[in-house]
Amino acid sequence: MELLDNLNIKETDRGWQTGIAKSITFIVTKDCQLACKYCYLVGKNEKERMSWETAKAAIDYILDHERDEVFNTESVIFDFIGGEPFLEIELIDRICDYLKVEMFRRGHHWFNSYRFSFSTNGINYDSQQVQRFIKKNIEHLSIGITIDGTRRKHDLNRVWKHHAGEAERGSYDDVVRNIPLWLAQFPNGSTKVTISSADIPYICESVLHLYSLGIKEVNINCVFEDVWHEGDDVLLEQQLTQLADAIIDGGYYSEYVCSFFSENIGKPLDPVNDNQNWCGAGRMLSIDAAGNFYPCTRFAQYSLRSKRAWFIGNVRDGIDKNRLRPFLTLDRLTQSPQQCIDCEVASGCAWCQGENYDAADTPTVFQRATAICKMHKARVRANNYYWNKLFRKLELEGTRSEYEENKPTVKSETC
Amino acid sequence: MIKYIIIQLSDNAVSYCHYVATATAEPRTIPIEMLHKGITWAMKENATVQFVYPAHRLPDEYHAIIESIDHAKIVPARCDDEQLENVADVVVFDDYAAMEGYNFRSTAAYVLRTTRDELFKNHQAITGALGSVQRFNVVITDIDSFTDDDLATYAHILDSLADKVTEQYAAGNAMQFNLLTDRIMLDSMNNCNAGWETIALAPDGRFYPCPAFYLDGDEDYCLGDINSGIHIKNPQLYRLDHAPICRSCDAWQCRRCTWLNRRLTLDVNTPGRQQCVVAHTERNASRRLLARLKAAGQFPGKEIKEITYLDPFEIIKQ
Repeated sequence: MELLDNLNIKETDRGWQTGIAKSITFIVTKDCQLACKYCYLVGKNEKERMSWETAKAAIDYILDHERDEVFNTESVIFDFIGGEPFLEIELIDRICDYLKVEMFRRGHHWFNSYRFSFSTNGINYDSQQVQRFIKKNIEHLSIGITIDGTRRKHDLNRVWKHHAGEAERGSYDDVVRNIPLWLAQFPNGSTKVTISSADIPYICESVLHLYSLGIKEVNINCVFEDVWHEGDDVLLEQQLTQLADAIIDGGYYSEYVCSFFSENIGKPLDPVNDNQNWCGAGRMLSIDAAGNFYPCTRFAQYSLRSKRAWFIGNVRDGIDKNRLRPFLTLDRLTQSPQQCIDCEVASGCAWCQGENYDAADTPTVFQRATAICKMHKARVRANNYYWNKLFRKLELEGTRSEYEENKPTVKSETC
Repeated sequence: MIKYIIIQLSDNAVSYCHYVATATAEPRTIPIEMLHKGITWAMKENATVQFVYPAHRLPDEYHAIIESIDHAKIVPARCDDEQLENVADVVVFDDYAAMEGYNFRSTAAYVLRTTRDELFKNHQAITGALGSVQRFNVVITDIDSFTDDDLATYAHILDSLADKVTEQYAAGNAMQFNLLTDRIMLDSMNNCNAGWETIALAPDGRFYPCPAFYLDGDEDYCLGDINSGIHIKNPQLYRLDHAPICRSCDAWQCRRCTWLNRRLTLDVNTPGRQQCVVAHTERNASRRLLARLKAAGQFPGKEIKEITYLDPFEIIKQ
């Protein structure tokens, strides 16, 4: 790949971010060193590892169909997921090399507009193989390390895999040691924090802790699954209000971002103009070790609690476009219950199409799960508080315009 | 609201639609108490009953119960009980050979179930039937096998069948042929509406959107049973307003088959491309037929507008 550097034919961010990017996910392994308690991947295992033959067949199929409407986006993000993707760094390295060579050889329009993306638990981030890979691909690479916050918050859920009877061991120390190296390589690196019921009391301290580690963008979301207990919404509102105070009083708002706070959430949605689907399932493509295609990883069997996998084809037969039609015709109103359609604070209330499918009463993607409703409303109340407080402060200081011109924004969305 | 109930009298009851009724060695006949309960349910719900018969003869005691309610009989063209054919409301042909020399009655409707290839080969046989009946339905059993290359052939066949329809109308026989005249006569969507306006009671005593779901053994689409009543989960998904592709479509004659939807796209409210393009090929052939009939003074004021697509999904995507 030195050749590519010398020819200076690589593009920077500008290229791939200008258009709509196709997201193609390789589920390279269903294994992980950790056994996080909130993990939605219910069928993780050590056996289903992608072979090179399957990966190559998938790449050949995708690149062979450059002009097909499924693959004719301006840009592409090749996403690697597990389990823990870096457990398969050797395979990933081979996949990425092959992709680059093939895109170049074919004159494929993605050659100047691609990105490799990873969401990792960070445990073997500093390994020789991973570091070699990073150095080789750094200009086309996004890596997010998942760290949930303070040690006690992180270790509450993100524990090492263990046998019954063995003591639980948290993974905080194994991850946090790699944060400085990661931030040195990706100064704008963001992290993804997942909140389930037990995590709520630690939200404020955790976000502040992540800021203190130098992570300027914290993407954080409540899980979509029905895990919430009585009073969780009140606790969330308290935590977020505390966090709002800390961010504003501590002056973090000018440089740091927490995705819980957004100016655009908590408004009613117009039934005509705001009728689009939230989720990108169906516009993405996910490939597993058996070479099966899915509309997103959440539709693979290892992600589903109670439904059958939603296959949309495989590397041998290609994509069955009929099975994409439900996804590509989904709109907000058709899948939402009346309470969501009439909701006065609907904007920003997210959903996961996979969780909708998994939780639905029948095998459909047209039934929106509403387990997150009370948590969204609590978030909206705290969010209103945040912006009212922040804007008042800025106005009193006379710095509102300066803030508007320079305010940091969330670069990546949580899914 | 359920308006129609289809009571499938046996596992081997004839298919009058896209699904295949596979013959079994020991078919289950609906237990007589279930049949009785089904009829009582229909009376209480003001639902119109359609009984679907197998080719084999039913025990005598069934007949008196069946005759206790106003109903329609759907029977196979070849059945052991020859008397049944004479009183049937709908007679189903599974092959072209059975139509040869058949004594069509003006009081019955006829259904021909055919594969695409058979239709392409034998469509002339339909021409003969169109001159003898008041209502003729053609059901293509393998719609999913249609490719875009087949559509020109299909349109050509529909045009040749339209010659016969035109001839019949000129002779004063305003007969109905589902593939060509339904779209002309309708003013809005008129689909199967399984699970919304129609429900099937199967020989296992359970409700399904239609017999196809029962025969598939798809437990996800069991809609209750005759003892505990109908419990339709996600009932909105059977309605037109919750079908994003269909609700803006004007191929009003389309069956909008929820079973085919489930098979092709995995969701009951979303049709596969084949169902859409085949229905639109019929719609456009109906448009051409309408122009001919209007030129002969028929259907004044009726109009089917010209469109540039065969799959409304393409329009939604834009």
